[in-house]
Amino acid sequence: MKKVTRRKVLKTLGAAAAAPFAAPFLNLAHAQGATIPIGVAVPLTGNSGPYGPDMAEAAKRTAARINNAGGILGGRKLELFIEDTESSASVAANLTQKFINVHKAQSLVGYWGTPEGLSSRPIAIQNKVVLMVSSAANAITEGDTQGYVWRFQMKATDWGIVISRAAEKLGFKSFGIMGLQNAFVLPIMKVFEERITGAGRKVMDSLIYNPEQPSYRAEVERIFGKKPEAVCCFGLLPDFVSIMREVYRGGFDSKVIALSIMADAEGKFVQAVGPQVAEGIRHFQPMPDVSASGYKKFVQLMGAPADRLFLFPPNTHDQIAITALAMEKAKSPMAVDWSKQIINVGNGPGEAVDDVVEALKLVRAGKNVNFQGAGSSCDFTPNGDQIGRGMGQWITKGGKSAFVEYVKP
Amino acid sequence: MISFIVLMSIVICFSAILALALNFQWGLGGMVNFGLAGLYALGAYACALLMLKGGFNTFFATIGAMVIVGVISGLVAFVTLRVAEEDYFAIVTLGVGEMLRLVALNEDWLTRGALGLSGIPRPFGELVPAEYYAYFMLAISAMLVAATVWFLNRVARSPFGRIMRAVREDDVVAATLGKYVLWARVRIFAIGGALIGLAGSLHAFYYQYIDPTQFSTIVIAYAFMAVIAGGRGAHAGTIIGAAVVMVLLEGSRFAKDIIPWLDSDQLSAIRIIIIGVGLILLLIFRPQGFLREYRLQVELK
Amino acid sequence: MLQTAFNGIVTGIIMTLPALAITLLFGVLKFPNFAVGAMMTVAAYMAFALNAGLGWPLTVATVTVAVVFGGICIVIDWLTFRPLRERGGITLMVASLGLGFVLENLARLAYGNTARSFAMELARPFRFFDIRMNREQMITIVVSTLAMLAMYVLLTKMPIGRAMRAVADNPSLALVRGIESPRIIRWTWFIAGMLLAVGGVLIGMDRAIEPLMGSSYVISVFAAAILGGLGSPLGAFIGALVIGIVSEMSTLVIPPNYRIGIPLCVIALILIFRPQGLFGQAYIRK
Repeated sequence: MKKVTRRKVLKTLGAAAAAPFAAPFLNLAHAQGATIPIGVAVPLTGNSGPYGPDMAEAAKRTAARINNAGGILGGRKLELFIEDTESSASVAANLTQKFINVHKAQSLVGYWGTPEGLSSRPIAIQNKVVLMVSSAANAITEGDTQGYVWRFQMKATDWGIVISRAAEKLGFKSFGIMGLQNAFVLPIMKVFEERITGAGRKVMDSLIYNPEQPSYRAEVERIFGKKPEAVCCFGLLPDFVSIMREVYRGGFDSKVIALSIMADAEGKFVQAVGPQVAEGIRHFQPMPDVSASGYKKFVQLMGAPADRLFLFPPNTHDQIAITALAMEKAKSPMAVDWSKQIINVGNGPGEAVDDVVEALKLVRAGKNVNFQGAGSSCDFTPNGDQIGRGMGQWITKGGKSAFVEYVKP
Repeated sequence: MISFIVLMSIVICFSAILALALNFQWGLGGMVNFGLAGLYALGAYACALLMLKGGFNTFFATIGAMVIVGVISGLVAFVTLRVAEEDYFAIVTLGVGEMLRLVALNEDWLTRGALGLSGIPRPFGELVPAEYYAYFMLAISAMLVAATVWFLNRVARSPFGRIMRAVREDDVVAATLGKYVLWARVRIFAIGGALIGLAGSLHAFYYQYIDPTQFSTIVIAYAFMAVIAGGRGAHAGTIIGAAVVMVLLEGSRFAKDIIPWLDSDQLSAIRIIIIGVGLILLLIFRPQGFLREYRLQVELK
Repeated sequence: MLQTAFNGIVTGIIMTLPALAITLLFGVLKFPNFAVGAMMTVAAYMAFALNAGLGWPLTVATVTVAVVFGGICIVIDWLTFRPLRERGGITLMVASLGLGFVLENLARLAYGNTARSFAMELARPFRFFDIRMNREQMITIVVSTLAMLAMYVLLTKMPIGRAMRAVADNPSLALVRGIESPRIIRWTWFIAGMLLAVGGVLIGMDRAIEPLMGSSYVISVFAAAILGGLGSPLGAFIGALVIGIVSEMSTLVIPPNYRIGIPLCVIALILIFRPQGLFGQAYIRK
C-alpha cells in the first residue's frame, strides 16, 4: 500500500515539474487568432437566476451587431463564451480561470452579483485581463485595480445616497433600519443611516442580521417595536419574506422601504407572502434613464416593445460596446493596451455617440468619441466606478409593483 | 484546458489534506468532527489575517494557521471529552463550527464580514511568473500532500498510533490498560486540526479571496464521503477518495450540456443526493472502503 | 420585555416536538440522529404539496402527512439504520448526517430554493394587554400541548409506551422480559416521524418553507434535548422551553446575530456541571 502511495505521489510531482516546460507552447495558440474571445459570466440559475438570460441575450445581440458591421481590428469577429455563475462566488472564480486559461479571453463581462465580482477580481488583475462587473459593492473597485476592473453599475454607497434622498422627499421623520450581513447591502445601509439623520429626522434603532436564521422575530420586535414612521430594510429575498411575515403578523404598521431585488424579485416576493403583506412597500432599484436615446436603441436591438423596462441587460450591452471601442482605439486585443482606453471612449472628450457601430466608425477614422451607453452615459471615475446612473422607485399595490419615479443620481 | 486540469488538481490536493485530517480524527481516532467546515474556515481566515494584518510571510502564516486550528481543536476536545461521550462531542463540534462561521461573518473589524478578505498573498507570488504560477502551486500542494501522508504514516506506526487504534476500538479497555484516553484523544484532535489549518491555508492561497459562503456545511459531506470511499484509516485511499469526489463534483458541471432540462440548483441538489446516498451505501456495504487500513493488513499476516 | 418573553415561550414550544422526537430516538436507538432537521423540512414540503398543491385544508394535510411520514421513517430506518445497527453510534451518526443531506436536497430538487408559504391567509395579531399574539402562535401552543399530552398518555398508560421506556432504560433486560426490540424500534420511528412531521408544519407556518428551515433548528433542538437529559421526554419539553426563552431574551443583551451561541453555551455548561442533563439519569455504557 505504501509503495503505491509513494509512486503515485512521485508521478504527480514529476508531472508538476515537467509542466512548466510545456506551458509556453500552450500559450502560443491564441496569439493571432481570427476571433476575439470574450467571457460572459451571468447568473442563469441560483438566487439571482432570473436576471441572467436577458443579459446573455443582450450580449449576443450586441456582439452580433458589431460582427455584422465588420467586426473590429480590421475584420476580426467577437466570439462570446457564455457561462452560468450559478450565483456563486467559487463557481464564478472557476469560470474566470476557465475564460482566461482555456478560452484566452482578454475581456470578462457580466458578473452580476457582488460575491462573483469579488472572487473574480484578483484573478483578472493577476492575469492582466479586464473585468467588467454589474455588481454594486464598493469593495470591487477599492484598492489598486491597475485599471483592470470596471463597474457598470451604481456603487452601493450611491444607492444609499439616492434612497435617502427619496426617503427625505417622502417626509418620514423617524426611521428604523435593518440590514443583512452581506457585502452588497451593508454599504447601502451604512450610507443611508449617515445621510438620513439630521434636519429633524432621526434613526431610532438599527441592526444587522444573519442570513438563514430560524426566525427573525427578535429582530422585527426590536426595530418595529419602537414604532418608527418608516423602516428601511436592506437584505435579500429569503430573509425579507420571513421578516415581512413577522411584521404583518406582529401587527406593526411602520411603512417599509426596501430594494426591488427583495420586495419584487420578478414577482416572487408577492407570490411568497401574499398581496396583503406586500401592500404599500416602496422599493428601489438602479435603472437606466429610459428617456435616453441610447436606451431606446437598445430596446429596439432586443426586439422588445418600446415600453419594456430592462434593468441590467443594457449594462451588458455597454460592456461589450466599450470592450470593442477600447480595443479599436488601442488597436490591440490585449487588455494591457486597451484597458487604458476605456476611460477615453467612455468619458470623452470627443463626439457624443450612442450607437456602437457609429462610434466604431469614428474611432477607426482616428476621431475621439464619448460613448453614451444604453444603461448609462458610460462615464467613469479613474478607479473604475461608473457615474451617472439613477434609480427607479416603485410601490407595491394590490400585489403589483407600480412605478413611481426615476430618481436622478 | 491543461491549465484548467492543473487548477482542478490543486483543488484536489487541498481537499485531500482536509480528508486526510478527517481520516486521522475519525478513521484512526474514532472521533467525528461535524465542525469541519468551521475549522476549515478558521484555518483559511487565520492564514489570511496573519498575512494581511499581522505582516507574516506565507510560510509563517501557514504555520500560524496550523497552530491556531490545532490548539482550538484540542481545546474543544479537552473541554468536551473530559466530561462527556462521543454523542455530545458530535453536537459540540457542530455548534463550534457554526459559531466560527458566525464570527467570520459578523466581526467586520477583523474579517471584513460578508465582504470577505481579498488580495491574499501567495507563496513566492513575486518570484514565480504568473503564467507558471498554477504549476508551481500544484507542485507545492502535491509535496504537502506527500508530506502529510508521510507524517501520518509515521504517527500511525509509532507507539502513539497503537494507542490511537486501541482508543478507537475500545476506550474502556484502553483505559484499563493504563492508557490515558483523554490525552490521546486531545492530541489526535489537535493534530487533525493542524492539518485542517494547512488545508485552509492552501484554500486561501488558491482563491486569494475568502468569504464565509465558501465554507458551507456541504464541505463536511464531501470530506466524509472522501474518507468513507477511500477506506477509514487508509491514506492512499483517502487521497483517491478526495480526487474521485472532486472530479465527480466538477465533472457534473458538464452534465448540464447533456441534461439541459435540469437547472443548476437541481443539478447541485442531485450531486449532494448522490454523495449522501453513496455515503450511506458505502457505510452499509463496504465499510472498509476501496482500500483498507495499511497497518491492519500487516497485522493480520 | 414581556413581549420578548412571550416570543421566547413560543419559540420554545415550537422546539418541543422535535426535541421530544430526538430524545425518544436516542433513548431507544442510542445514537443522536442528525437528520431530524431535514426530516422536518421534507414533512413540511409534503404538507405544502397537499395544502397548496391539492388544496386540502392544512389540518387534514398535516394529519395525513404525520401518519404517512411515520411510515416513511420506518422505511428509512429499515433501509439506512437497521443494517448499521451493530456498527456503533458513530457510524449511525455519520449515516444520519448523510441521510440529512439526501432528504434536504430531495426537497430542494422538487421545489427549488425559493421560500414558500402554506395556503393560509396571514392574520393581524390579537392583543392581550401589551402582548401581541398571532394566530400561528396560538395554533402552535394548542397543537404542541395536545401532542405533549398524547405523548404523556402514550408513554405512561399504554403498553407500547411502557415497552419503549423499558427498552430505553435497559435493552437487554427488556429483551429478557419478552419485549421484542425490532417492534419497539418500528413504533419509536413511527411516533418520532409523526412528531417531526407536526413540528415541521409548525415551523413552516411560523416562518416560511424552504430547504434550510429544519436544519437551522438542529443545534437549538439538540441543546434542548441535551439540557433535558437525552432520553427524558419531560426533560425535552422543559429543555425546549428554557432554550427558547433564554435565546430570545438574550437578544436584549447580546447582538441578535449571535443567538445561536446561546444553545451552545447551554450545552457547554450542562456538560461541565451536570452531564446527565436536568432530568436524565447518569448511565454507564459498559
